[in-house]
Amino acid sequence: MSDDSVPLALPFLRFADSSSEVTALYRELRKPLLRYLVCLGLSSDEAQDVVQDSFVSLQRHMAVGGTQDNIRGWLFRVAHNQARNRQTSYHRRFADPLDSEMDFVAADATPEKAILEKEKFRRLRAAVGLLAESERECLLLRAGGLRYREIGDVLGLATSTVADTVERAIKKLAEKCNV
Amino acid sequence: MCDFQPKLVAWLDNELPENQAAEVERHVQACEQCRTERDRYEQVSKTFDAYCDAVMSAKTHPNVLRWVPAVSGALLALAATVLLFTWQRPRIDPRPAVTPRAAAAPIQALAAESVLSAEPVAPKKIHRRQAILPVQEQVQQPPAKWQPPDTAVQITIPAETMFAPGAIPEGMNFVAELSIGPDGSVERLRLRP
Repeated sequence: MSDDSVPLALPFLRFADSSSEVTALYRELRKPLLRYLVCLGLSSDEAQDVVQDSFVSLQRHMAVGGTQDNIRGWLFRVAHNQARNRQTSYHRRFADPLDSEMDFVAADATPEKAILEKEKFRRLRAAVGLLAESERECLLLRAGGLRYREIGDVLGLATSTVADTVERAIKKLAEKCNV
Repeated sequence: MCDFQPKLVAWLDNELPENQAAEVERHVQACEQCRTERDRYEQVSKTFDAYCDAVMSAKTHPNVLRWVPAVSGALLALAATVLLFTWQRPRIDPRPAVTPRAAAAPIQALAAESVLSAEPVAPKKIHRRQAILPVQEQVQQPPAKWQPPDTAVQITIPAETMFAPGAIPEGMNFVAELSIGPDGSVERLRLRP
């Protein structure tokens, strides 16, 4: 399924006023949200389901006049909680969220570039595996474009804690990856 | 360690207040160590971002191109196998066909004549399968479509099928040349080794 071809099938046509805002948010945030969920450890299908459910929740939230302050953080928090609810088993909960056996290199890469990319990603994957869960989640949300305050909303942390966590995680990765 | 280094990541993420950001920026321009650290953090952030993209791409878009050569090769092999077992080469026999009955009687008669002749007969080695094949093919011809040919008919028959064991040297074969008339009768027949 293509990234841009997934329709927003929201069964709330009666909330026409808010649906246009939700549609705009969907276009903006669907891909970062999907990437965050996939990197968190969900399969592609599960991530698609969680994204869909999260936007349905957002539609309901806006239809009943819920607060629109930090709506990105709200949406990521809903998706994050749904993803964690799906990851109930111990193995899935603590398995390496970033798949280690997948072939990440682009198909059009030259052999030299492919080898370098694989090696770079191998070192990064090993370094990410050494991070604490909160550090990893902060980095994933930061890579999704969220601000520290929004990350704090998602994970239930103070903004200053998020800043410290992100800085610590980046330093660890830089040391382990020898960048 | 420089005092500004703990603020570098937040500064790169535009999370510092304006006054602090300006201060860090001035310091980084003057401090080589902080510039090095800034470059490292930027590089790590880019690599992590690319890694997340690659994970998502690998999970949501399986690399089907990787399977194209294998699948196409398997399909080609399958097609070649099917063709090999289903396609039959059309059999074209340049020699005209004769009915077994018309061919057998004169052959036996002239074979006996040839054996009694005084001419030396040179042994001719003919592959058994090639020698028998024309007779077998003639059996498959439908009699209704048979047309008498104008040219002589040449039939190769192993000698051991016509003579008693020991009557002729072992391995000797004869070629019967005959012409068949419009009524199906043999008009001219010659047997040669």
